[in-house]
Amino acid sequence: MKDIYILGIETSCDETAASVVKNGRQILSNVINSQVKIHAQFGGVVPEVASRKHIENIALVVDQAFSDAGLEYADIDAIAVTNEPGLIGALLVGLSFAKGLAWALERPLLAVNHLHGHIYANILEHEDIEFPAVCLVVSGGHTNLLLMEDINNYQVLGASRDDAAGEAFDKVARFLGLGYPGGPAIQKAAQKGQAGKIKLPRVFLDRHDYEFSFSGLKTATMNMKKKMEQAGELQLWDLAAEFQQALIEVLVEKSLQAARQYEVKSVLMAGGVAANQQLRSLMEERAQSQNIKVFYPSLGLCTDNAAMIAGRAYHDYIRKSYAPWSLNAYPSLSSW
Amino acid sequence: MELLIYNEYEMERLGEKLAQVLEDNDLVYLRGELGAGKTTLVRGIAQGKGYRGRVTSPTFTLMNVYLLEQMQINHFDFYRLDPHDIYDLGLEDYLERKGLSLIEWPQAGAGILPAEALVIDISLVEDDYERERKVKIKAQGSQYQEKIKELQSLC
Repeated sequence: MKDIYILGIETSCDETAASVVKNGRQILSNVINSQVKIHAQFGGVVPEVASRKHIENIALVVDQAFSDAGLEYADIDAIAVTNEPGLIGALLVGLSFAKGLAWALERPLLAVNHLHGHIYANILEHEDIEFPAVCLVVSGGHTNLLLMEDINNYQVLGASRDDAAGEAFDKVARFLGLGYPGGPAIQKAAQKGQAGKIKLPRVFLDRHDYEFSFSGLKTATMNMKKKMEQAGELQLWDLAAEFQQALIEVLVEKSLQAARQYEVKSVLMAGGVAANQQLRSLMEERAQSQNIKVFYPSLGLCTDNAAMIAGRAYHDYIRKSYAPWSLNAYPSLSSW
Repeated sequence: MELLIYNEYEMERLGEKLAQVLEDNDLVYLRGELGAGKTTLVRGIAQGKGYRGRVTSPTFTLMNVYLLEQMQINHFDFYRLDPHDIYDLGLEDYLERKGLSLIEWPQAGAGILPAEALVIDISLVEDDYERERKVKIKAQGSQYQEKIKELQSLC
């Protein structure tokens, strides 16, 4: 069978990213704007006033994706692009560029849901995932627990009612003065402390559903810091460790509860928070005794990237599920 | 006007009352530190307008849109942003479109965002998250002064 090369473009939020993936599995290039030598192209400095970062970056990022892959534009079989959810203005840059390129090269256009892309990062790297699976999507903007029948069919089991898990990490890290980004900062601080010495709530853990809430944990942590400071006994490392543990235990327990209820053998994690070492190890530790296999992407594929978009689109390419030229971008998730 | 709100439930009810006076194309700025209750108040406003879906923090997504039959609600959060980011991301475009716009952390948009708006400040009492919140609502611009009068008659 002929090899299929798909270009993926992702501009749903902050990052401008492009990637070429072969046969839905093999990443030939994976470019994210911060990695590109854009500075050199502008003679050293990117003018701060230059607006519309995505517009400036996209042609360079796509060019770089082709050159890293060692391919010409004409070698590509299809162009895939994220069209939801995200910022409309940002999404439209990628979408318009993808349409223009697909039209000019006379190749099909493929639309990918950003969150399907995150989940697909697992499939890019692991060939032994058994479906159905339970999937935990945890990032700065999203916290969702899903039952995934196969690559195209999802059922939402639950989601966060207020803050996303990654957002809670970032805000607590900032409040504790641990720096940015919050996930790695908390993880590092937590290693120096011990969870359990201070008690923080496991919010919604006692509920028999798959809803999450992290806003209360965030304020409980901030309140605890203030109280400890007033008493003159701030144990910052222990507080970071307990916060991380409280958040992660809820994620792990709810995921495994869903796996048991729906009798699935695989739990997939996706999104930036899936990079958290403690989440990975606690999920694996508790899943092992229940004979459930845990999957997560490598660190670079947990955060926003275009390889997950190009990879996911391969399955639509194969079944000729092309997007129309009238394809639009949507800020909210229309459906799973 | 100024009032004390004792819990999350009351904050959502205040949002529902605000929903009765807010209309399409109105602009609301919500200020207050992390965990003050800004998103909770927005949830109340959206519910008051009849929205039944999830109202979550847009800190990372920067903007959530809640679609209703009669209008859309644009829920922004500029917490992560610097003023130049607002141009880079094209956020000011949304403000020229239709919808009731509710903006958390509007400080980053100083000089870019319109001066006329309903401004809501939520603060902790004695720096304690477990205690009540002080909510100050003030009008910038005459159309919003009318709304405060209406709101006072509801509270």
